[in-house]
Amino acid sequence: MQRYILKRFLLMIPTLFGVAVLVFLLLRVAPGDVVELKYAGVGAFVSKEAMDQERAQLGLDKPLWRQFMDWMWGIARFDFGTSMWTGRPITYEIAIRLQLSLQLAIMATVVAVLLSIPLGTIAALRQDTWVDYVVRVFSIAGLAMPSFWLGILMILGMLIFFRWLPPMFFTPFWIDPWANLSQLIWPALAVGYRYSAVATRMTRSAVLEVLREDYIRTARAKGLWEKLILTRHALKNAMLPVVTVIGLEFAFLIGGLVVTEQVFNLNGIGMLFVEAITRRDYTMTQALVLLVSFSFIVVNFVMDIVYAWLDPRIRYQ
Amino acid sequence: MAEAVGTAADVKGAKGSLPGWLEISLRFAQQRPLGAAGAVIVLGMALAALLADIIAPGDPQVSNYALMLRPPSAEHWLGTDSFGRDILSRIIYGSRTALLIGFTSAFFGATLGAVIGVASAYFGGRVDLMVQRFMDILLSFPLIILALAVVAILGTGTMNVILAITIPMIPRCALVTRASALAIRETPYVTAARAMGFSHTRIIFRHMLPNVMAPYLILVTAFLGQAILLEASLSFLGLGVAEPTAAWGLMLRGAAVEFAERAPWMAIFPGVAISAAVFGFNLFGDSLRDALDPKLRMG
Repeated sequence: MQRYILKRFLLMIPTLFGVAVLVFLLLRVAPGDVVELKYAGVGAFVSKEAMDQERAQLGLDKPLWRQFMDWMWGIARFDFGTSMWTGRPITYEIAIRLQLSLQLAIMATVVAVLLSIPLGTIAALRQDTWVDYVVRVFSIAGLAMPSFWLGILMILGMLIFFRWLPPMFFTPFWIDPWANLSQLIWPALAVGYRYSAVATRMTRSAVLEVLREDYIRTARAKGLWEKLILTRHALKNAMLPVVTVIGLEFAFLIGGLVVTEQVFNLNGIGMLFVEAITRRDYTMTQALVLLVSFSFIVVNFVMDIVYAWLDPRIRYQ
Repeated sequence: MAEAVGTAADVKGAKGSLPGWLEISLRFAQQRPLGAAGAVIVLGMALAALLADIIAPGDPQVSNYALMLRPPSAEHWLGTDSFGRDILSRIIYGSRTALLIGFTSAFFGATLGAVIGVASAYFGGRVDLMVQRFMDILLSFPLIILALAVVAILGTGTMNVILAITIPMIPRCALVTRASALAIRETPYVTAARAMGFSHTRIIFRHMLPNVMAPYLILVTAFLGQAILLEASLSFLGLGVAEPTAAWGLMLRGAAVEFAERAPWMAIFPGVAISAAVFGFNLFGDSLRDALDPKLRMG
């Protein structure tokens, strides 16, 4: 088990390095840079010298390999540099937004789990009845509806029916839990519903499969209480693929955050990412891509470990 | 799409009295009503895209400030937007954008992915390892992040959006086709083809690729819905198709939220179009997967 974890862990490093190289090169292939964009907004004539000076200040005049080495050396010391647009440290810019996005991500996952596991189980238990059909259509619809549109509809509904809008400014949970939740519950629902769609379908087919196993028949033959069979024998074994899917669909979550933060005007990581990309803020985009890929890879890594831990067959291979 | 079903299974259709593809389509509709419903939505969308010039009541790009934010009425069934443009016409023309981007990126993404996946499995060894590592790197970007990064480099516009959606699709398809191709590589007919001295290209394209057709078709249909959704998201973020082109995601951007209370039709109908299209493709794709993949067939 330790060797398995170590091997999987070491494999993360080359992948992350590849991501870093790729994003670094891709960004610099693009025409135009942050300096040009900054002065494009000013409107006045800016001399080439002034722009070159600014570039030199940002380190953009150095050769590519040098810029890359500087960046890598910084990362090795946990120093991600400063944003090319705002000039503030990247860790600061991310830190002030991370709390919001992280809370939103956790809430959306909770929504997804609370929706998918009961719905999927019920659909499987009532296979081919109207309950099953309703759940299946509900989950396919969740995949089809873009979360940003769901968000727009929510805002629209609240405006028209309640003449009320969620608070515009983020309040940390421990300061005012009510204000915090009334702002974040809507985007969490919009993202969570979509996130739940795949997991619901997975739960359904996993429970269906498990219910056909011999040990379920044995349990029934023993005259075990049906509720006990379901919780202790069926669900416990069906959860494995569901847990995996929830982990793998983490990408949905990130995609959902990028667009929903825009709809609800939440100043989170997703918003920062779109801003950084449109402003060609190299350092910020690089740091964010690395952060997202890192969390993505870590989630996959943790999923693999959980999987191996839950399923001894993988552990002892 | 009906044709694709026909060719994939025309061995079975040969015995009927009806033309093969028609019988297959009918049987498909009978056995999988949900899939058929999806096919109908897809066909309707394709028709709307093809006949947009005839059926659209107005020009989707001409602004008319006298007609700003009109509610749905007899002349403008779905109302007008903040530029006074007819929303129904923009939705009909928007299906062109969605289908063009959806089809090209799903097709090229899946095809390139299949070629890479099969070639990587065929050559094996170090080549396979290198290709897999590179695909792993691409896969560690969530779909939308990679697409956003590509748009940031290339700039907005229809062609660039197609590329931005194609690239993240490639590793996903390569992963699946490689797995099937690994099994095919060990089959006697590939060994025979090698013994005959055929070139690598010929073996890959003539002997191996046709045999990953089932997963390939399943992936294409699965990608279609995703591609349409991704295009809508990119356009919604302002990093996709540019104004004044009619695109559903773009129609939901800015003014749709700003005027949500005064003109809710602006925010509702384009979203219905996106959802219906993706819903249709997903339903159809799901049924196609069940029909093509015998392992998943239940009884």
